Amino acid sequence: MELPGYVALTRQGGLMREMQVIANNLANISTTGYRTENLVFSEMVPAVPAEGDSVAMTAARTRFTDARQGALDRTSAPLDLAIEGEGFFQVETPLGPRLTRAGAFLMDAAGQVVTPQGERLLDAGGAPIQLPPSATDIAVAADGTVSVDGVLSAQIGVVVPEDGAVLTREDGVRFATDAALLPAPDGQIVQGHLEASNVSPVAEIARMIAVQRAYEYGQAFLDAEDSRLREATRTLIQPR
Amino acid sequence: MRALSIAATGMEAQQMRVEVISNNIANMSTTAYNARRAEFADLHYQQVSRAGTINSADGAILPTGVQLGLGVRAAAVSMDVAQGSISQTGGSLDLALEGQGYLEITLPSGTSAFTRDGALKRSAEGQVVTSDGYPLVPDVTIPDDARDISINAAGEVYAYFIDQVQPQLLGQITLATFTNQKGLEAIGSNLYIETEASGPALTGEPGTEGRGTLRQGYLEDSSVDAVREITDLIEAQRGYELNAKVITAADQMLSATTQIR
Repeated sequence: MELPGYVALTRQGGLMREMQVIANNLANISTTGYRTENLVFSEMVPAVPAEGDSVAMTAARTRFTDARQGALDRTSAPLDLAIEGEGFFQVETPLGPRLTRAGAFLMDAAGQVVTPQGERLLDAGGAPIQLPPSATDIAVAADGTVSVDGVLSAQIGVVVPEDGAVLTREDGVRFATDAALLPAPDGQIVQGHLEASNVSPVAEIARMIAVQRAYEYGQAFLDAEDSRLREATRTLIQPR
Repeated sequence: MRALSIAATGMEAQQMRVEVISNNIANMSTTAYNARRAEFADLHYQQVSRAGTINSADGAILPTGVQLGLGVRAAAVSMDVAQGSISQTGGSLDLALEGQGYLEITLPSGTSAFTRDGALKRSAEGQVVTSDGYPLVPDVTIPDDARDISINAAGEVYAYFIDQVQPQLLGQITLATFTNQKGLEAIGSNLYIETEASGPALTGEPGTEGRGTLRQGYLEDSSVDAVREITDLIEAQRGYELNAKVITAADQMLSATTQIR
């Protein structure tokens, strides 16, 4: 069994994946409402025929999303909404309701509040938000209450998935989940602001350097393993 | 190795941001220009192992799975609909719009376009036109012998004549508003045309139903905030460099791979 090479290979493959995650985080450094993604390496112990031995390989099998608050950028547009604290907006997509923290909303021609992709924002009860098309003075309170020209018009829903929910990322800074959604206890809407991406450039570059060096160590190990095998082969086949 | 192409999408995004910023800065002194802002969204995710998959070794259900993002794309370049400051010019046909609304004009093709640039002129026939010569809708014509023109906040145009004490009402300037102003299509020369997204123009007298009012002798400045643009520019430049750094690192990892015998 020539396992050392394969063990190193699982490490190298995982590092390649982690590099891809870092590249994706840095590519999304200016994406409104983007959340940093991280990979977790875990030990994988395959059955080894030899008795009493076990070989631990590594697998990048899980990820977690960094839920830290991103900075709030002031934009002054009435339908640019940021959530301070935990919580998500709900938008309606062809595949069902999705969660997002990207709060750059617009009013479409029919007076519905939509994302730049045209998906409708949902209210606390899960229905689209309809405002009078001639609305000019739109105020959104911290609890999501929308008033148009001083008249209460809608209530924007801010939700959190129940504990332990699985959030799947989708394009367009959206998350999908099958878990039950509860009203967010401490998510406050801030009108006229957008939440910037929560990617920390310093942390990502540091991670990138660490991954790159770890990859080089892996390569050095593979080189050494290669020499060891060559040496062993030469010793074995050398005529006495 | 996708890190290379992912970082390339990041560089493209930052480059687009710089282009939007440079257009804003170039239009710092354009009458009634609205700053634009580039919006980004993440790209599709590659499902390496699905959340909820059953782990074959011990039957446990994977709580999160692995998803690898594939970069970033431009979601929208939206217009910041903010009121610019107004500056005095003294011109009798210079109009600043305070509040929401657009002046409607007719293009040579006969279709309507909308503008907030109120630097109006008189054509040889006395018609009130924009700097590019497009007539206002509804049409206002100023007689040759008019001594002075007065336009009030509600858009009524009066002319004074030498031999008359009372001014004469020449016409009414109307303003158009849109349900979704950000949905207007910019066609250059400070002009916008209505689209499916903006909704139809809602035309009416200034000061009614949330429309702004007119101020004669003033022009609306560009709403570009130079400080904000420069800080955004610095951010975009650093973002570009960070993504370039990822390309270098990914390249070095690839070259390490090729050196393994």
